[in-house]
Amino acid sequence: MSDLEKLTQEIRLATNYQVNKRILREKIQTDLHVPYNGGLFKVSPELIAFLNSWDTDELFLEDTYQNPVKINRKELLNKCREHYQMTMNTWHGQHEDIKRARKV
Amino acid sequence: MKISSVQEKSRGILLFAFNTSEIDYVEIARRSARLVNHTLNLPVTLITEQGTTADGFDQVVYIDNTLQNYKIGERGAWRNGDRWQAYNLSPYDETILIDSDYLVLDQNLLKLFEQDFDYRIMTHNDKPAGAWALNMGLFGLQYLWATVILFRKTPHANMLFDLVGRIQRNYHYYSRLYHMRDRNFRNDYAFTIADNILNGYQPGEQGIPWSMLTFADVVTSITEKDDLLTVKEREKGYLIPRQNIHVMDKGYLLSDNFANFVESTCAN
Repeated sequence: MSDLEKLTQEIRLATNYQVNKRILREKIQTDLHVPYNGGLFKVSPELIAFLNSWDTDELFLEDTYQNPVKINRKELLNKCREHYQMTMNTWHGQHEDIKRARKV
Repeated sequence: MKISSVQEKSRGILLFAFNTSEIDYVEIARRSARLVNHTLNLPVTLITEQGTTADGFDQVVYIDNTLQNYKIGERGAWRNGDRWQAYNLSPYDETILIDSDYLVLDQNLLKLFEQDFDYRIMTHNDKPAGAWALNMGLFGLQYLWATVILFRKTPHANMLFDLVGRIQRNYHYYSRLYHMRDRNFRNDYAFTIADNILNGYQPGEQGIPWSMLTFADVVTSITEKDDLLTVKEREKGYLIPRQNIHVMDKGYLLSDNFANFVESTCAN
C-alpha cells in the first residue's frame, strides 16, 4: 500500500468528534424523559429548580405532550433528581470516551 | 394467595416480513427479533406469507400479501403492503410495530406505555449528519416514519389502521390529492395522511417525542464496547452511545458481521 493509499485509508476511518458529540447529546435528550403518573416529563435543571422551589406538595404540571398532570412535588422531585444525576453521569463518561476517539 | 380482578394487558412486538427474490426479509426480521426480545423482554410475532419458513419467533401469522410495489432508485420488488392489517393481526393489547431494519438496543420505547394514548408514531428522524425532515412532495405534508408505531386496541387506533387500508387501496387518488413526489406506495405517507385526517386535517399530537437515528448509507460493520457502538460506513465511522438505530442497508443486515453483532449483544 502506497503512502497516499494509507493516508486515504486513515481519512476514511477518521471519525468526526462534532458529529459523535451531537448524536450523543440527542441520545441523552431522549434518556432524560421520565414517565410519571400517566405523563411524560423531560428532566431539566429548570424543572428540578421549579419543583424545589414550589411551596405546595400537590400541583398540576404540563408534560411533554402538553397535558396537565397531577403530581406529588416531592415524589417527582426525587425521581427527577435521581434520573438527572444518573443520565448526566452517563453523558459525561461517554463524552470523555468519544473525545479521545479520533478514528474508528 | 392474592387474586387480582384486573386482567394484565398483553404487550408485544409485531414485525412484517415478506421475502423477495433479492432479499431474505424474514432472516432480517429473525435477527431483529432476537435483539428486541433481548432488550425489551417482550414476545415477538411475525406477519409473513404462507409457505415461508419462519422459526425464531414467538408466534407467526400468515397472510396473503398481494401488493406489487417497487423501490424508486433501486431494482427489485418492495413488498411493503398490508401494514394496515397490524391492528387486527396483533395478538397483543399493546403493540410495538417496527420495521425489521429498526434495531432495538435500548428501553426508551417502554416509557411511552406509561401514558394514555391510542397510538404513537415516530415523527423525527436524524441521519448522523443532521436532521432528516422530509415532505411528501414540494407542497406535501412533512411525513411521519412508520418505522416505529406503538398502538393500543382502541377505537381511535382501529380507525387509524382502517384509514391506512383505505389509503393503500386508493393510493393513486391520495397520491395526487396530497401532492406526493413518489408514486410508489409508502407506509410513511399512508400513516402521515391517516394521522392528519384523524386530527382534523392538522399535524397530530401522537408523535414519539424523540428522534430516530437512521443510517441510510452502506454499513460495513457495527461493534459494541462499553455501551458505545462503532458504526462504520464505507467512507465514515461513528462512535455513538448504545441506542435504537434504523439501518437501511439490507445487505449489511444479512451479513456475517451483523449476525455476530446480534450474537454478542444477546449473549450479554
